[in-house]
Amino acid sequence: MLGFSCSWNTLTFLFMKFSSSVRLPRQELGEGPCEEEVTEEARESQLQVEQSERRMINLQSDGMELVTNIQTAADAKESGQRTEEEEATRLRMERLENEAKCSQQKFEEITRGWEMTKQKTTAQELQDALNSQQQQCAQLLEDKAKLIHDLQRELKARDDCYIKDLKKAAEEEDLFIERMESLIKTLKKTYREELDQIENAYEHERRVLLTANREKWEQYMKDRRNLELENLTQRLNKMEEYEEMLEKLRMEDAEEYNITKKKLDTHVQMLRLQVQQKKASDYLNQVVLDYNYRLQTKKEEEITTIKSQQKRKMAKMQDVMKNLKLKCANKEKQSREETQKLCKDYKRTTELYKHKQKKMRHIVAVDAQEFEDVWLMNEAEVRQLVERALHIDRLIYEQQLGLTWERPHTAFMKLSAQEDPEKPAQRSAQEAASQLIHTGTATQASLGMEEGFLIEKKLPKLLSTVEKDEQMSVKLAAVFSVSACWANFSDVSHSNSTDVMCSCRSAREISAPHEPSFLRVAGRDNSEDAAYWESLAEAIPEVKLKLWDALHDALQKHQ
Amino acid sequence: MATETMSESPYPPVAKHNLARSRSKTRWIIAEDPDWSLALVPLLSQLCLQSIVKNFEKKPILEELGPDHKDFVLERLSPSLPLHLTANLISDDGYWKRCCNERWELCDVSKYGHSWKRMFFERHLENIIELFIPDLTDPKTVLDMAPLCKNYVKRLDISQLLPPIKEPQQAEEEDDSDLTCDSDSYVTSVDHFDFGILLNKLTNLEELHLVYRVKHCGMNFEWNLFEFTTRDCECLAKALKACKTLKLLRLHQSKVEDEKCRLLVKSLLDHPSLRELDLSYNIIGDRGARAIGKLLNRSKLETLNVCNNNIRGPGGQALAHALSKNSTLLSLNLRLNCLGDEGGQAIGQALLNNSTLLHLHLGGNEMSEPSANALSKVLAHNNTLKSINLSCNRLGKDGGKALEEGMSHNTTVIECDIRLTEVDQESSVCINQVVRTNQRKARKKQAQESKTK
Repeated sequence: MLGFSCSWNTLTFLFMKFSSSVRLPRQELGEGPCEEEVTEEARESQLQVEQSERRMINLQSDGMELVTNIQTAADAKESGQRTEEEEATRLRMERLENEAKCSQQKFEEITRGWEMTKQKTTAQELQDALNSQQQQCAQLLEDKAKLIHDLQRELKARDDCYIKDLKKAAEEEDLFIERMESLIKTLKKTYREELDQIENAYEHERRVLLTANREKWEQYMKDRRNLELENLTQRLNKMEEYEEMLEKLRMEDAEEYNITKKKLDTHVQMLRLQVQQKKASDYLNQVVLDYNYRLQTKKEEEITTIKSQQKRKMAKMQDVMKNLKLKCANKEKQSREETQKLCKDYKRTTELYKHKQKKMRHIVAVDAQEFEDVWLMNEAEVRQLVERALHIDRLIYEQQLGLTWERPHTAFMKLSAQEDPEKPAQRSAQEAASQLIHTGTATQASLGMEEGFLIEKKLPKLLSTVEKDEQMSVKLAAVFSVSACWANFSDVSHSNSTDVMCSCRSAREISAPHEPSFLRVAGRDNSEDAAYWESLAEAIPEVKLKLWDALHDALQKHQ
Repeated sequence: MATETMSESPYPPVAKHNLARSRSKTRWIIAEDPDWSLALVPLLSQLCLQSIVKNFEKKPILEELGPDHKDFVLERLSPSLPLHLTANLISDDGYWKRCCNERWELCDVSKYGHSWKRMFFERHLENIIELFIPDLTDPKTVLDMAPLCKNYVKRLDISQLLPPIKEPQQAEEEDDSDLTCDSDSYVTSVDHFDFGILLNKLTNLEELHLVYRVKHCGMNFEWNLFEFTTRDCECLAKALKACKTLKLLRLHQSKVEDEKCRLLVKSLLDHPSLRELDLSYNIIGDRGARAIGKLLNRSKLETLNVCNNNIRGPGGQALAHALSKNSTLLSLNLRLNCLGDEGGQAIGQALLNNSTLLHLHLGGNEMSEPSANALSKVLAHNNTLKSINLSCNRLGKDGGKALEEGMSHNTTVIECDIRLTEVDQESSVCINQVVRTNQRKARKKQAQESKTK
């Protein structure tokens, strides 16, 4: 059974494989150029294959069912028999149990009987008892024998049954084998038929495909032939064209070639000449260069000697230099020490200067104040004198001469008022200038500060025509000149003013061309003051003086 | 010389003498006989090879020969050469084919993996074991064979195991006391062939089929010829445990009852390679079934066949319990047991949790409608079960309707056998329709898979 099923399975498996493997190349073909036709036909054969497959499967399953029906029937019978068997065994067991119980009862009766007979003494009773016992024993034995007989009958029946079953089993096996063989035969036959049908289907497909492909092939071949002819004619035409073109080109090329050849020949000749010339020049150059080379070598020798000399000299010089450096260092040290000393001195002097400047300022201020006071005093004196004089004059005129007196002009006395604002300006200018001198440098910023009130209004206009550097120096000069004019004006302590004068001089040196104008500008104050005093002095004119002198003399005479 | 060479040819000589000797019709070659040659004096190489063939037993020279000479020698070697010589030396199947054909009539090499050598050694070993009479046959014969054939034997299908021969006691029948004391003192060392000495030496053994019976006993039938004793069982259990490559064990028709079944199962627990267990046509009952249930979950069993045993409801329940936790079993055959509705329902319940079982055979188990209801639920929910056989159970019309209901939701069962179940015609037709659709689906799926491969 197992072997049969194995071979069965292999058969079906092979069939399936065949059908599937046959199907695949068809599908691959289906991807070719003429898809629609091929797929339709593939479907046809595939349909056929599927149909056959289905048929075979149905047939196989039915056949298998038929064959295995036997086994199933046997199983059914077996299970039925088992239930019966169980039932029968149960009954038998019951029966045996009952039998055992009854016989046990009877046996007990018999044993009881034996006991009872032991009690009996008479022979008759013994005989009766014995008989009854025998009967009971016989009964018991009979029952047992019957049971045994029944059981043996049953056993025999079962043996017969067994033999029958064996026969039946043999028959069933034969039937089984028969069915298997018939199934195999029918399946083989149907497989062959189906295979034939499938082959026919494929054959048909193949033929159709083949004719279609052949037609296509013919068509393509025809097209190809036509195309080839066309191509050939085209090619011939083209060839002629190309030949003509080639001829033309050849001629052109030959002409060009000749021309270029001539050109190149001339060129070549030129170049050859050039080459020769170059060679000659080269030769000359070479000779010259050789000579130069020899010279150079000689020079080199000289140079080397000189170099050595120079080196010696250099060594010497270096020694000298070292010495000098040492000296220099010493000197430097000395100078440094000196400078340090000088710095200290300078510092001291500057401090002194500052101090002196302070003093000077103070003195200046005091002097100025004194001057002012003196001035005012003098002025007051002068005025007093003038007033006295005028009074006297008036007296004289009125008392002596009996004339009307007129007060002369006193407009010049207003000048002192104008100068006052200048003085503080000048004082502050002087301070600033002293500051500058003290620092020793004049920066633009400081200039910028003082620009406004140090320099006259005209100066910027003048400066605008000059460059900035010169402007700076000019401004410096202006500053210094202002301070200088003030210094000129005052007759105060000389040490400070000499310094100022030095710096002013230096400033003046810088700004030589502009000097006169400045001085002219600054000089106005001096001239104004002089004029003022002069005017004051001339408050009483010469005429009046003469008059007074005359009077005086007259009076003197009177006395 | 010429005659010698001619006599070894497989083709019938057609009056060669005349042909060869008559001058007018001298044939230079005879196409039917490739070995015949006009040369009356054979080549020296031929002579050497012939002497090698003759003296192969004393001096086996095979590996040193060239391919042509090797073929020549192999064709002429006698199949009756001692096996200890040829087993590991000759690997050419042609020689073994000759050996097999000479010894046995019917040789189907496809059953032995198309290897004649394997067929020869397996059948030879089976023969030795089948004719082994304990205490009479020297175990050495088996032990000597073991190293020779261990590389080639993959399956042993032993169809009989002889019991030890008891000396005829008819003369002593009158003397009952002597009989009893004799039978008492006559104790054999083993009851049947002890596989323990063999199995651990066969390193490639994968299948073992055993039947403890005597064939062709005919009218000399005695029940003790068909006894699988406890001692046998113990020896077999020990041997099975030692054989670590065994994949299939089949012990059928040997009156294996619960105790022996339990002994065997005990030694098979956690066996590394056992895949198929066949204890069919025995008398295993519920306790044995419980043991087998335990084995199901403690091994890698894929196929279990306990058809035609005595497993009843409780046994069925034990198996069902094991089944619900199992995930390796693929095929279960419980045909011709007495599971009844108790067992049937239990198995139905278990299958709702199981998703690996593919084949289930519950034919002839005296099941009826309740089992059909349980199984119809299984059919509706389970989608791994491929074939189910419920033939010869009295399911009845209602059972048939329940099954029809269950099958209508099923998409994987491709075989449903309900013959002789007293199911209605309509129900069986519906069920068959569903099965056919499922078959078609399965075929399509298979075809698609083979295409994608």
